[in-house]
Amino acid sequence: MFFHIVLERNMQLHPRHFGRDLRDKIVSKLMKDVEGTCSGRHGFIVAITGIESVGKGLIRDGTGFVTFPVKYQCVVFRPFKGEVVEAVVTMVNKMGFFAEAGPVQIFVSNHLIPDDMEFQSGDMPNYTTSDGSVKIQKDSEVRLKIIGTRVDATEIFCIGTIKDDFLGVISDPGATS
Amino acid sequence: MAEKGGGGFLPGGKSALKSSAGKDDNSARSKKGKKVQFDAEGGWGKGGKGDKVANGSKKSTGKATPPGDRKLEQELPQNTTCMMDCEAAEILQGIQDNMITLSQDPDIKIPVSLKKFGVSDAEICLIANIHPESVDEVFALIPALTAKMDKLRDPLRIALGELAKLKEALSELANIKVSR
Repeated sequence: MFFHIVLERNMQLHPRHFGRDLRDKIVSKLMKDVEGTCSGRHGFIVAITGIESVGKGLIRDGTGFVTFPVKYQCVVFRPFKGEVVEAVVTMVNKMGFFAEAGPVQIFVSNHLIPDDMEFQSGDMPNYTTSDGSVKIQKDSEVRLKIIGTRVDATEIFCIGTIKDDFLGVISDPGATS
Repeated sequence: MAEKGGGGFLPGGKSALKSSAGKDDNSARSKKGKKVQFDAEGGWGKGGKGDKVANGSKKSTGKATPPGDRKLEQELPQNTTCMMDCEAAEILQGIQDNMITLSQDPDIKIPVSLKKFGVSDAEICLIANIHPESVDEVFALIPALTAKMDKLRDPLRIALGELAKLKEALSELANIKVSR
């Protein structure tokens, strides 16, 4: 789920950037450093929407670097247990399939795929129902429920299921809408 | 170009907003369908450079700014920011878009938010993200809501109806854009 949050970060700036555009340099360095990263606590930082404040700079002893505490608003994406998301399948193998919902990768094990779907290996490995009506292959869109998340310092990984009601394939990659 | 308000300020109050909204009136009227009532707001402190009669003719020979131009800055009131027409239009358009929620007009009804029934913000976001087609789908996917099933059935049905209308409108808009 997406959130809008205020975060704080200490930006270190080399003296060569000091001058008229100091604030702009701090902001652009912040955007370069932070956008696209993931923190276990807040989730994936998708984009910075605004700068709340830039504090006074403190010169570090020994080097000429200066540290500025910056408060900024940003959009983050953090998956939660129990959340229902729509994801795109990226890889299918006999253990299950991997899907991506935005920046986060979700694995659905074959134990959490309905029993009537069988793995078919081949050129395009896929899971298909016995009557061939529903197929899950690469680039299919599926709705899944996240049943667990593993969070470490810089990465979030999820486990999902499609075994419940109203979950499963939304659209086939080859189907005309 | 009609001179609105005269002098430096856009005067506060109903008349000013109605007249300055007149620029975007046609598009706004066709969008909303009727004028929206609101209480007069004061404090329009921004000096309206855009609404002065534009004195386009340059009389200077190009050497030094003639005394007439220099005095313009002095005539403007202190502690004000000049605004261009386009900047003012953007701000006023945003206010007009908000007016529908602020209006006292009884015909414009906003459905009761699900929050009043104890649905948390996260659950509301979840419902909106999954585009459910039926109320049963919502209860199946968010088991926590089944505790208040009786109370929530009707408001959920209304909310899902509105969501579906919105989704249809958005996809039609996307189709129009694509076909162009």
